[in-house]
Amino acid sequence: MLYANSVFKDESKLDINYVPKALPHREKEYRLLMEFFNFLFQFSEKMSQRVIITGDVGTGKTALSNRFGADITLQANKKKIKLKYIHVNCREYRGKISLILQHILTIFQANFPKRGYSSEEVLDMLFQILDEEATHIILALDEFDTLIKNEGSETVYKLTRLQEMRSNKPQRISLLFILRDLALINDLDESSKSTLQRNIVNLKKYDINQLVDILNERVDMSFNLYAVNDDVINSIAEFGYSESGNARFAIDLLWRAGKYADANNKRVVGMECLREAVSSIFPSIRKSEIDSLTLHEKLFLLAIARFFNYNDVACASISEIEESYEIVCEEYSEKPNSHTQIWKYVQLLSALGIIKIKVRSASKRGRSTFISLPTIPSNELEKELNASLRKKVSEKHEI
Amino acid sequence: MKSMKFEEVFSSKPRMKILKIISRLGTLNVSDIARRIKLNYSTTNQHLKVLESEKILQQRVYGRIRMYRFKDASPRAIAVQNLLDVWEQTSVQ
Repeated sequence: MLYANSVFKDESKLDINYVPKALPHREKEYRLLMEFFNFLFQFSEKMSQRVIITGDVGTGKTALSNRFGADITLQANKKKIKLKYIHVNCREYRGKISLILQHILTIFQANFPKRGYSSEEVLDMLFQILDEEATHIILALDEFDTLIKNEGSETVYKLTRLQEMRSNKPQRISLLFILRDLALINDLDESSKSTLQRNIVNLKKYDINQLVDILNERVDMSFNLYAVNDDVINSIAEFGYSESGNARFAIDLLWRAGKYADANNKRVVGMECLREAVSSIFPSIRKSEIDSLTLHEKLFLLAIARFFNYNDVACASISEIEESYEIVCEEYSEKPNSHTQIWKYVQLLSALGIIKIKVRSASKRGRSTFISLPTIPSNELEKELNASLRKKVSEKHEI
Repeated sequence: MKSMKFEEVFSSKPRMKILKIISRLGTLNVSDIARRIKLNYSTTNQHLKVLESEKILQQRVYGRIRMYRFKDASPRAIAVQNLLDVWEQTSVQ
């Protein structure tokens, strides 16, 4: 069996193109979109619609649009209404309307000649085909920003007025504009702007709890039972949140962590797998950074690396690391430094981006500082520090 | 165009090639058909007109483009498609 020794049961559910049956925390926006296009069930030939979906990277714009498209097509077809949802990424067509229209045409006529026709001609042909087939299409123009930048106001204006150019004829094309930055619309001329800005679905960035829900759902679909630790899910959610609430990034990180678990023959995706996954995306620690640290800064960092190497947790309290530091000092025959000094090490390592610190209220006594090692695999760091420390100690003895 | 006899319609190699190619690829424009059967445009066009007048193919005009496909709901078109399908399937064996 393909997945016999894998943490995955179906990794395709983590693929960028997979659209889940329901999108957590996008229910309201989904309903709004359905409302905007509700007319199709009664007057598909008498009306058309233009809607903008906007939001940051990884806020679910494409997924929402595709889910909506698949569902509305199914519902319409059940009612014998001829409707087709077509999703086009404008970037793939270099933001050129002629290439986009040509592509749409080939969906209906696969062997349509590809060259030598103006956008207007292609559009006329498309309308003719849609009239012949009595079909309404919802055309989702993803990464619409690229088209605006490439074609400018004129084309956008024509797009928004497609139907008005065909007076007294059935309405055939509705448009869904998907773009990251709504401010781009402001650069268009007044008439395009006013037509476009009527119906906007704005996707806010996901918060940490929402990302945890999304990740948990994907974990259930794609991993074996108990194959992913809660700590890992929470940490991935934090990463996703720090990347502007980017769910796509978080899901990709989850998949990578699973891949590292498989590569290391692990049954469970732990924090170390996540660190390896993160270090494959973000630049890891440089040797020069380690070499620039003083002896005790290195010893303290080694204590951190050891702690996370032997404890599969996301974070540790300063006192836990202090205990680990005392053992490391013993090993290297060094006297451990005071708590005040340790606090300075923590600040320095955090400023260098090697560790992350978080202040939480941990007990009745008040707030405590917690340390995490989010981006560097602890075993690699330990090896690196051991090598550097051995060098330093031998130099010390030579002197 | 005057109706042709059965043997006259099917005795032409280019016409058989046209039918085979449309059966395999679906709707095609005239230049594309000419290129695929390696004949010039006007000869291809003449053969297409014969097949159209015999109610086997139909033409759709989109602006400057003329596309040909099997005629909808035509018993002749259906019979030719069936013959080509059977021929194709049994040739593979």
